[in-house]
Amino acid sequence: MTPLRWTLLIVLLVSSMLIGVMFGTLRLGMHDVINGLLGHASEMNNSVVRTLRLPRVLLSALVGAGLGAAGAALQGATRNRLAEPYLLGVSGGAAVGAVLAVAFHAPHALIPVIGFAGALGAVALTLLVARAAGGHGDARTVLMAGVVVGAFANAAIMVALANADAMAVRGALWWMMGSASDASWTQVATLAAFVAVGLAILLAMGRAIDVLALGDDTAAGLGVNVARVSLTVYVAGALLAAGTVSAAGLVGFVGLLVPHIVRLAGARTHRSIIGSAALAGAALVVFADLIARIAMPPAELPLGAVTAIIGVPFFLALLRRLA
Amino acid sequence: MLLSACASEAKHSAAITDDFGDSISVGAVPARIVSLNTTTTEIIYAVGAGAKVVGRTAYDIFPAEVKNVPDLGPGLHPNVEAVLAMHPDLVLLYASETNREAARQLRAAGVRTASFRIDRISDFARVTRLLGQLTGDTLAASVTVDSVNATLQRVRSATATLPHPKVFWPFWESPIMSVGGGSFVNEIIETAGGKNIFAELPAPSPTVSFEELLRRDPDVIVTGARTQAKLAGDTRWRTLRAVREGHFLIVDSTIATGPGPRVGAGAESVARLLHPGVRF
Amino acid sequence: MIEFREVSVRYPRAAVPALDHVSFVAERGRITAVVGPNGSGKSTLVRALLGRVPLASGSVLVDGAVIDLRHRRQLAMRIAAVTQREESVFPLTIRDYVSLGRYPHLGMWQAASADDHRAIARALELTGTENFLDRTLDELSGGEWQRVRLARAIAQGGDAIVLDEPTTFLDVGHEMAIFELLGGLASDGLAVMLVSHQLNLVARFAAHMVLLHRGRISAAGTPDTVMQGSVLESVYEWPLVVTRDPAIGSPALVPLRVPARPNRTRT
Repeated sequence: MTPLRWTLLIVLLVSSMLIGVMFGTLRLGMHDVINGLLGHASEMNNSVVRTLRLPRVLLSALVGAGLGAAGAALQGATRNRLAEPYLLGVSGGAAVGAVLAVAFHAPHALIPVIGFAGALGAVALTLLVARAAGGHGDARTVLMAGVVVGAFANAAIMVALANADAMAVRGALWWMMGSASDASWTQVATLAAFVAVGLAILLAMGRAIDVLALGDDTAAGLGVNVARVSLTVYVAGALLAAGTVSAAGLVGFVGLLVPHIVRLAGARTHRSIIGSAALAGAALVVFADLIARIAMPPAELPLGAVTAIIGVPFFLALLRRLA
Repeated sequence: MLLSACASEAKHSAAITDDFGDSISVGAVPARIVSLNTTTTEIIYAVGAGAKVVGRTAYDIFPAEVKNVPDLGPGLHPNVEAVLAMHPDLVLLYASETNREAARQLRAAGVRTASFRIDRISDFARVTRLLGQLTGDTLAASVTVDSVNATLQRVRSATATLPHPKVFWPFWESPIMSVGGGSFVNEIIETAGGKNIFAELPAPSPTVSFEELLRRDPDVIVTGARTQAKLAGDTRWRTLRAVREGHFLIVDSTIATGPGPRVGAGAESVARLLHPGVRF
Repeated sequence: MIEFREVSVRYPRAAVPALDHVSFVAERGRITAVVGPNGSGKSTLVRALLGRVPLASGSVLVDGAVIDLRHRRQLAMRIAAVTQREESVFPLTIRDYVSLGRYPHLGMWQAASADDHRAIARALELTGTENFLDRTLDELSGGEWQRVRLARAIAQGGDAIVLDEPTTFLDVGHEMAIFELLGGLASDGLAVMLVSHQLNLVARFAAHMVLLHRGRISAAGTPDTVMQGSVLESVYEWPLVVTRDPAIGSPALVPLRVPARPNRTRT
């Protein structure tokens, strides 16, 4: 990645965030937005900009950054182009948590918390299964364990949903499809802490991931403790993904797609892949959330549906290129 | 009107047609009824056949005595074996596509099964008359329908000339699902002298964005007590004028379960909240 | 410098040990070659050195001290390994790839120092790979890739290099180039330990050979000692003769054709 490309990426992110704050159902001029940001607009415009749009745009950016970075790191550590942040059972576990919360009539505000707990539980289960089957050091074993735990989670979801009422099911489904619509400053602050720590760990592991990507034996020959580095990357990536899930539900495709995009743009070493995937992921999710807000007024689309609609054709093009 | 005309015609041919298009013979008065739709359950009790109900859904809470009836689980994708185990001679289902197979299986087992779609207030009158025929008490059915219709009419006339405040009635907050034009709750709002801000959306419970809500700027929010407390304390929701100014109307949320015999009383209670001091 | 002392390795669910009390030393300043048929335990030796398989008994020592796998980086600073398989799902540029040889020397956030750059430049020069720095691994031919891998190992800067089948898939010219390079490294004082199928080439370059058969050492010593027709014939289970390379006099193995007889097939 050349300095010019890094600059372009930052410009892309900042401008997507500005556009994200400017557009919405309510029409605000540039003037209103700037005054709103400064708190000098009408009471209504102030709150639209500062209470609704800004936290939402920031939360989307953090979700995208977390998913992009986690996807990039996990793809590298597992040497698998199709690895993604939800790989280790995060999505299944989070969904089980959300659905159980619904089935047992937990307050709606608890869904993210229980979803997060479910994600952590599933990640722990995946790593335990992988360990029982042969060790964290072997990427293939970990991937298989993730698949097994995911299948188990699907079964659990179906059992839990059997008796839930229709509105609650719709609520749980909406949450599973991902949305930044409930963004608050508290959530922004929590996720920012998560992303800062997770990103720092993954960036620190960047060089080790480069080595790991060459294969376990080669990595061992270069002084990498394969099992420990893999486990660190898996746990940091999964926690990052779980953090985004608790903030905005399951937002698919971002973590899978963005690392490919930044690699095509010239990122080669994992430190630059992870860093640029964080920036590009942030821009992508901010943009996707804008579409989710304005594409079908007065309804709002689930964020995960928008990222998938953007992602699928993009990914097909990528596959053709790689094939 | 047309439908009830059909129904009364059906009485003479000793069969009625349900909303799956199946025909159900009228004649033998049922002794054991399973009702797997909360609204038909309420209607069955209202037309005086409650004592014959031997099975209900997990969600039935009206009328109060229904809790003594065995709970047979969900109303969609019902457990057919659990229903058959009650040896019913009449089963009432909600006529959604997911229930078509269950209806077929019950009929195949020789059980009279009628499926009704009760989504609008007009469905209430139509289905109540049909259920009256099935239970053999058309008089009780007529009385029920007339009483509800009279109440609705009374509420409508009392509020017709009053200013109609802009009403937002959420079914759910995350995502925000509003009462839409396709819901009978929209009819309740209109009857009670309010203007549903999402009335033009055809779906019964459309998902709407928060900014859209802000743009439509409701005068009042109709909700339950627990939701009110939550919304009133939420910074984002406080950007809504109605929330800031505390313009909440607290209703019994079970009004929204279905257009059953309580729909008239429900409209009346909403009207009293929307127009305090109005006389009916 | 690298000593295998009574090393045994047994894979789970395997009937016989992959390595059975194997002892030998790879000294500095010479090429030590480990040869043997497929499945004789050659690659397991390398994996044992890297701590990738648990030892059932025995130990691996470096300069007289048992290797401590808790300090892999220190080990990697002294011994570089070019393993048999390497993946390039996410191909790096040659510059970044060869720089990874300095991985054990760098702290997590530490940038490459002048020393690191010197080591990298020397490795590129020795292997003649300085001209494709900006190409990526997936754009290299097989011969170029092996040279680049060797460059990474040299950049690692230790005093031992361990290679597992470094010339598989290479043509004669590229193969010779690699062996000449390894010979040069050994004369510069490095301990070069080589796992190879190429008996004849190995016999010309190695000072010490270890012949493995079913996890045990069948013969060890100079090429002349190991390259005995009778020993090799029983290990490889194929008729062969050992002749002398006419040019340099090193032993050379010539496998024989066998008349097609139904009961004489290779096992």
